[in-house]
Amino acid sequence: MPKAIEVNNLKKSFGELQAVQGVSFSAEAGEVLSLLGPNGAGKSTTISMLSGLLAPSDGDASIMGHSISREPLLAKSALGVVPQDIALYPDLSARENLDFWGKMYGLRGGALKTRVGEVLEIIGLSDRQKDKVGTFSGGMKRRVNIGAALLHKPKVIIMDEPTVGIDPQSRRHILDNVKLLNSQGMTVLYTTHYMEEAEELSNHIAIMDKGKIVAMGTYRELIQLVGGQTRIDLSVNIEKERIIPAWKTVEGVSQIDSTNGTISAIVTDSNLVLPKLFETAAKLNARITSVEIKEPNLETVFMHLTGKALRD
Amino acid sequence: MRIFDLTLKDLTQILRDKKSLLFLVAMPIVFTLFMGFAYRGNSSDENADTRIPLAVVDPEPESRLNKMLLSRLDSSDTIRTVHLSEADAIESLRKSEVAGVLVIPVGFSEQAEAGKEAQLKLIAQASSSEGQSLYQLLRVPISQLMSAVEIAQISAENNANEFAPTIELAWSKWEVQSQRSLVRVEQAAAQETSDWAGGNPYNQASPGILVQFAIFGLVTSAQILVQERKSRTLQRLMTTAMRPWEIVAGHLLAMFTLTFLQTAMLVIFGQLVLSVNYFREPLGTLLVSVALGLWVASLGLLIGVVAKEEQQVILFSMIAMFLFSALGGTWFPLEAAGGAFAAIGKLLPSAWAMTGLQNILIRGLSLSSTLLPAGILFLYAVGFFGLAVWRFKKV
Repeated sequence: MPKAIEVNNLKKSFGELQAVQGVSFSAEAGEVLSLLGPNGAGKSTTISMLSGLLAPSDGDASIMGHSISREPLLAKSALGVVPQDIALYPDLSARENLDFWGKMYGLRGGALKTRVGEVLEIIGLSDRQKDKVGTFSGGMKRRVNIGAALLHKPKVIIMDEPTVGIDPQSRRHILDNVKLLNSQGMTVLYTTHYMEEAEELSNHIAIMDKGKIVAMGTYRELIQLVGGQTRIDLSVNIEKERIIPAWKTVEGVSQIDSTNGTISAIVTDSNLVLPKLFETAAKLNARITSVEIKEPNLETVFMHLTGKALRD
Repeated sequence: MRIFDLTLKDLTQILRDKKSLLFLVAMPIVFTLFMGFAYRGNSSDENADTRIPLAVVDPEPESRLNKMLLSRLDSSDTIRTVHLSEADAIESLRKSEVAGVLVIPVGFSEQAEAGKEAQLKLIAQASSSEGQSLYQLLRVPISQLMSAVEIAQISAENNANEFAPTIELAWSKWEVQSQRSLVRVEQAAAQETSDWAGGNPYNQASPGILVQFAIFGLVTSAQILVQERKSRTLQRLMTTAMRPWEIVAGHLLAMFTLTFLQTAMLVIFGQLVLSVNYFREPLGTLLVSVALGLWVASLGLLIGVVAKEEQQVILFSMIAMFLFSALGGTWFPLEAAGGAFAAIGKLLPSAWAMTGLQNILIRGLSLSSTLLPAGILFLYAVGFFGLAVWRFKKV
């Protein structure tokens, strides 16, 4: 039984830029694998190669045992792709869009009609099927966007940041759909920069940064990488550029970075380190305006591994 | 099958847009009618007298030979006579109201009948084609008149009474002979009429607007390709098991279908409403229409691939329309332009489309005359298609 997804030393360069630098990973049939990383990490380039939009500069990958280089049509037949953008026709109705994409996946006649009906049920838009997609909210469009990739019941589905820019209700609906599809045996490759989604959905998580996979494993395996370290988020009333170099020298601080005015520090023991952070701040006449101590999570792992916050 | 599904989707999107119907149906019909009216005023008033005007100065209208000659000229279908005094005739010539003045001198009839030297005088502008034509047109009846005189003189050598009946008889025989076709003319092509629209102004307006709006229709059809690329649906199509050439073919077929349907509609409109006789050679019309559709579709594909925004599609389509229409002879015949303009224009595919259609409509030629224009249009289609596919691979 071949692996649902197998990626071997996949590389992609755009001129001087090495967007993907020898990525390897695999997913067993029926699992959810998340690619987690900040924007520009190489997630979208990786899945563009897997879905046949970009030719790899080197390496290969297979979908259900079919090489994307040597058997692209067979690989594509086993694959459903949910692009990050809403890739639909706004002047066609939801049903017309699904009809069209079903035909593009080779469905015809009664089978097509039945399957479109089923997919409309799955995405919860049966009552709006005759409305033009252009009139839908962002969340509804995202649901149709996903539905279009489900019509041919693919063995593997790739979802590229399917919850970007939508309301919480639609986001919840999409996450529940991913779980439902996975429970029906579909293998899901899910890219996101939301660690909560990766944590909730995934059997395995691959963390990407700068075109490389920096860590891969189950959620628990990844958390263990930080070795019981804690993250402390702090806000101060002076420029962060002044205080970060000072805090970097404090004993027990292993990583420190800032995003959106919040400074995040990975520390070995928050009870011991926190008073020293206050003391250092006082020497600089700085006042700490907020403190939050967080249990280790994927954000902590990413920061531990890359030295920067995932939210970047 | 998926190619046809993609084609059908494109056509659904295009025809659902109300603006498309304006561009594809209403505007070409209105413009055809408008241009036809414009050409009518210019060249083709069926009631207008197109004979060459000739002023005749005849001081002795009752003289026998004068009466005989002028009765022939007055009934001519090539010359329109105007009887004036010599001064008025010269003034009319100066004002270009007439193309020439025929002066019959005093005593002409008497002297000619007596066998003396008698000469008519034609005053015409040597540089004028009508003036030159007048000389040729007058030579025939005057020569016939003088030969009738000679015959009568021979006949009257023994009996002077024979002169009058013989000259009448000889003259009437000349008249009969001149109306009879003595030499059968066979030509590979029917002779072009002097009217460049072949008697119907819509023979220029209808095919001209047909070709022009086939190109203008790209504003709507090429937009689909740009929208597809911008909305990332083109990229999504590439993730399905469709091959790239199938995607290109599906879009090309949609553009071809649209152009062909528009052409067919304008052909039927021209035939039934404007009496433009496309159905005289239905296969020739069909062949040129198909070739035109293929060329325009491949041009649309190229524009759709090259343009990044909808506004660029409009801009490129307008440039293509004006360039190919103006230089390709869709607004006025290239023969009327002449010189370098016509030479350059004749290289363009739009000019070949016009040639193909006007071979049928104006020149009265057969199906075989459309093979070359259709073949060249087809070659242009292959060229533009190749460019479009080359650009598509780079997108």
